[in-house]
Amino acid sequence: MNTLSFDSKRCERIRQQLDSYLSNELLVETASEVMRHLESCGSCSRDLESRMRVRDALQRAVANRPVPDSVHADVLRSLRESQPRSFVRPSATRWAVGLASIAFVLLSLFAAQWFNLRRGEQLIASILKLGVSDHLICAIKGHNYPVVANPPDEIRNKLGVRYAVLLQVVQERLPGFEVLEGHICSIPGSNRKYIHFITRGQGTILSVILTERNGANLPNGQLLASPASAGLSVYEGHLSGMEIAGFESAQYFAFVVSDLSQNQVLQLARGLAPALNETLQSTAFQRLNSHVLNALFKLRHVIPTSVATISRPAVRFHSSNESTG
Amino acid sequence: MPHLKDLYRTACLLLRDRHEAEDLIQDTYLEAWKSFHRFELGTNCRAWLFKIMFHRLHHVRRRLVKTSRVMTIDGPDGQDEVAAEPVVPQEIRDEDVLNALEKVAVEFREIVLLADVEEFSYKEIAETLRIPLGTVMSRLSRGRKLLRQELAEVARSYGINPRTKQAGAGETA
Repeated sequence: MNTLSFDSKRCERIRQQLDSYLSNELLVETASEVMRHLESCGSCSRDLESRMRVRDALQRAVANRPVPDSVHADVLRSLRESQPRSFVRPSATRWAVGLASIAFVLLSLFAAQWFNLRRGEQLIASILKLGVSDHLICAIKGHNYPVVANPPDEIRNKLGVRYAVLLQVVQERLPGFEVLEGHICSIPGSNRKYIHFITRGQGTILSVILTERNGANLPNGQLLASPASAGLSVYEGHLSGMEIAGFESAQYFAFVVSDLSQNQVLQLARGLAPALNETLQSTAFQRLNSHVLNALFKLRHVIPTSVATISRPAVRFHSSNESTG
Repeated sequence: MPHLKDLYRTACLLLRDRHEAEDLIQDTYLEAWKSFHRFELGTNCRAWLFKIMFHRLHHVRRRLVKTSRVMTIDGPDGQDEVAAEPVVPQEIRDEDVLNALEKVAVEFREIVLLADVEEFSYKEIAETLRIPLGTVMSRLSRGRKLLRQELAEVARSYGINPRTKQAGAGETA
């Protein structure tokens, strides 16, 4: 037995699980085993990325297929025409009953859809909560940023080779905001890593947060807060007193979180989303595999467990503080 | 009309004929209307409509299969290879992925669409297609791989060499 054959067998076993992993159909224990392997195996990690790329491309291609308006009208007409016909001219009452029946069915279908939308809402809320939690624990309660912005080189160093490129995007696409800090952090009790930019502007603190999707998706086409340019959809939520706007980009969820108004946060997210997406989708960015990543970007900055219990009010900065700080 | 676009797009990709797809959608909503008393409020309306559509599709397909049989299955279900993973292009155009999907046999294509585009669970797919859960899993795996293989053909046409990808197989930290 040699190491290569052992690893190959392990990879083979993991790859047999990748389809179920991609479909979120694995038990938690098995999914964790797959995730652990993916963290240390560049080959399997690339395999998963390739599968996800195909799935995303398929979703996009199908969603972009046009649906003729006539289909909707034809369905309604066929429903109307399916009413039982008599040899005598149907009375106005019968027409009314028929149309009322159709209306009832359609209303019921809409009601059923509403239940599904509620499920979609829950899913969106649970995903948006990832961003809010990191903002609250790391930026607001943890206060993990300096009064005077860290030098860009220091921030790039903390972010590592792969994510350093994102600093420029955040700096350029958030007009009126100064990037105080950028790092990779996690929340106590969770292995999830967040690429976290803490910025200051408009009298408050705003976070831009990225975290890997790990196969999860925002529900396609549901409850869109706002279509952004470059075909991205931005989802908005109000959680724990914060406004958050989130979108999917490549293998990541990206969030903009702050206590600004909903419109302000949405507008900032819409301005940031296309450029961030372009960078995350770029070949150069994608080329770096997680095998290299794990070696290069060990967790740089872990929030001490104690900060989760610290309760500080949301910090607001006034322009006088900014000028003196 | 709830879920009409999802149903129509799926129908088009399975039947490859717009008019057949439109007929199928009309039949589906008509059937939904007639059997609405069987629908339980609070359950998944989208899954219910897809179930009806696939039931109708089964009849359509039986009629169509008399004139043409579309099957390109390379091996039995579940006999999937894990080595020599096909390399797919970094940038995949809509046109390429839809053309590739069209080449995948309909038995696999329908499951790929239900799982990857409509994001139904294995259980929902099994109920929709009235097949065992194990068959859903094996056909999905096979279907995804067939799609990747077709896209790898696209990659080759772009001049991407798959050998460079396979060189790293078995690599671990």
